Amino acid sequence: MKPRTVFLALLPLAGFLLTWQVLADQRWINTALFPSPGQIAASMAALMTEYEDGRSVLAMHVFTTGKRLAAAAMEGIVIGMTGGCLLAVSRWFYRLANPFILLILPIPGIAMAPLFIVWLGFGDQVIITIGAVTTFFPVAYNTYAGIRSVNPQIVHAASIMGAGPLRILVQVYLPWAAVYILNGIKLGLARCWRTVVAVEFIAAADWGLGYMIWDAAEHLNASVVYGGIFLLALLFVILEKGLINGIARLTVNRWGFSLS
Amino acid sequence: MRWDPNIKITLRRVTKVFEEKGVTALQDVSLDIRKDKFTTIVGPSGCGKSTLLHLLAGFDRPSNGEIRLDGQMIEKPGPDRGFVFQDYALFPWKTVLGNITFGLTINGVAKSRAQEIAMEYIRLVNLEGFEHAYPHTLSGGMKQRVAIARALAYNPEVLLMDEPFGALDAQTRKYMQGELIRIWERFKKTVVFVTHSVIEAIYLSDVVVVLSARPGTVKGIIEVDIPRPRNYTGQEYLDVRKRVLGILEEEVQKEISMDRA
Amino acid sequence: MTLSTLRTRTAETLLPFLVGGILWEGGCRFFDVSPQILPPPSLIAAQAVELWAKGALRQHILASLFRLLLGYVLAVTAGIILGALIALKSDIRRMSSLTLSLLISIPTITWVPVLLITMGLGDRTVITAVFLGGLFEMIYSTALGVENVNRRIVDAARIMGAKRTDLFFRVMLPASLSFVIPALRLCIGYCWRALIGAEILSAMIRWGLGKMIFEARFWNDVTVMFIGLLSIGLLAVLFDRVFLRRLERITIEKWGIAARIDA
Repeated sequence: MKPRTVFLALLPLAGFLLTWQVLADQRWINTALFPSPGQIAASMAALMTEYEDGRSVLAMHVFTTGKRLAAAAMEGIVIGMTGGCLLAVSRWFYRLANPFILLILPIPGIAMAPLFIVWLGFGDQVIITIGAVTTFFPVAYNTYAGIRSVNPQIVHAASIMGAGPLRILVQVYLPWAAVYILNGIKLGLARCWRTVVAVEFIAAADWGLGYMIWDAAEHLNASVVYGGIFLLALLFVILEKGLINGIARLTVNRWGFSLS
Repeated sequence: MRWDPNIKITLRRVTKVFEEKGVTALQDVSLDIRKDKFTTIVGPSGCGKSTLLHLLAGFDRPSNGEIRLDGQMIEKPGPDRGFVFQDYALFPWKTVLGNITFGLTINGVAKSRAQEIAMEYIRLVNLEGFEHAYPHTLSGGMKQRVAIARALAYNPEVLLMDEPFGALDAQTRKYMQGELIRIWERFKKTVVFVTHSVIEAIYLSDVVVVLSARPGTVKGIIEVDIPRPRNYTGQEYLDVRKRVLGILEEEVQKEISMDRA
Repeated sequence: MTLSTLRTRTAETLLPFLVGGILWEGGCRFFDVSPQILPPPSLIAAQAVELWAKGALRQHILASLFRLLLGYVLAVTAGIILGALIALKSDIRRMSSLTLSLLISIPTITWVPVLLITMGLGDRTVITAVFLGGLFEMIYSTALGVENVNRRIVDAARIMGAKRTDLFFRVMLPASLSFVIPALRLCIGYCWRALIGAEILSAMIRWGLGKMIFEARFWNDVTVMFIGLLSIGLLAVLFDRVFLRRLERITIEKWGIAARIDA
């Protein structure tokens, strides 16, 4: 990337932070509501170095959210892919299930939270379950679309070489559908992440980034609120650019496809 | 500079360099395009013929040298020129009629008059009945006819065509060549046509300009005096073809060895 | 669409719900499930009718819809304008792409605590949350759409003499619709999520579907929760089918420039 491009990209952020810092130092803005970037950084650093049970508080929050995210994502992806395969394979199942999926798809995860809380109480389990539910839909849908989009000619090519149905499913359909599936996983992860954090706002007992932010908001600790949000954005960008694109690079990109 | 009314477009020492790619597409091109004649530019791949056409259209400016249309410098695109693209570039959200009237209405022609004019051109290109169709429902040949009608409708001084039949199959291509001549003979406009195909060039044009391999310069200008409609196999045709190919062959060899380098 | 296809389409859509509903009802009665855990459809329907008659359901729905649509329209308008600006001015684009990527990654719900501490707990906060929910996505998609306009179509218009305003409004904008219109559908999804999240978290609002679902927790009223969830689902699907899909059909599908999959 050209140096000028990098400079221009960072300019608005740097400018924004600088202006904010100056305004806060001069007390031209209400620092209770808008603490300076310096104060925010200090608060976050404090959280990082504050220890409880021998572990950094901030790290615990991040770790807890991450743990829930991983569990929810895995559940959602596995069940989603299975569901997607089923939808693709059985016309009846698709006809039966599709209207339900379409109805439930737009419902935000956090809206389902009160219901799941009644069923499962507070804590990890609720958060993971709702996360899994929201991941399920995009993964299932994209898996379905991917399998259905397979070019029938390469299926014929494989079968005439003597491949049986299971081999064709695994070695022909799945790699082809992989692009779609990865896209679905990408979307699903985005949803899962957002939902987990959102549900943590109301359902987490004591740990988790969402809990941290919400608790700070309730105590009007603006520094931690802003710091937490920034941290979330950063972690997510790393997650998406690093993990997903990394997987894509190793698989579908090498075969000549690219993720949307 | 005295301006000869028989010359429509003059190019003087036109050079085009693409700095980011480090490529000199055209070098010192000087050329006169005669008025009301059909001029074709041929040359090996990468010789800059499309670039030249883009400069004539005003989509791009030369790095050096000047291009004048009727004595005026060409600096940006404008309705004194018409352009037909290889991939049609029709507006997908407008019907055939809408596409053709666009050039008229944005230049101030009243809607009803514009539609009248458009219908004339639709009839001219044999697309009557398709006025309200959307481009994506038409075949390649039909789309190109719409493109030609669209470019002619606002009566430009010059018609520029960039390998317009390149995306069509052989049959349609032959048909379109005949159609183009039929349409052209009605209006006798100045046409600058770019193509790969020497056969097409000789069939269509009054003048064939051969461009050298990159960086492109004018290698040869051949007059084609054969009366129309032309026969792809007549003796005169074959003679001209031999001459053009002679010049071209050398350039194609150069092009191939450049690719290998 | 012919009447018979319409009938088959409706039947195909309603039949699964009928089957599902019967199974659900049957299952509840057969296994003697407590209505506190999983109310049967008959109970849900009865309660819904009652709530509607009392006017409460209508209030909740209208409040939510008002906030949603206001925020959505503002987000779409601002998003298209900003997105187009970003796409057209390369310096602005280079300046904003990093910032935009970061802003898009922030879960919409996390704006809510910020808004709560700065704007209080009322209506305005919810509408602003909805606005922010849809804004960034709209900017991004519009920018992408305008960038991806076929250069030659723009050239074709230029040589016909189109001036800059003509070029933008009559050529680039329609051409970018193959991205912008699907984005409209995506956006409303984000807006719904922002709406419900904000309603749940804003203590001072009285009405709203999110609020309704959340409050039901205090009485362990699962039935009301289902009513709320189903209302959200139905409204979202209705809006999508009746307005957005139709919009898609009369524009990009008719012109043959629709893109492929959605999820």
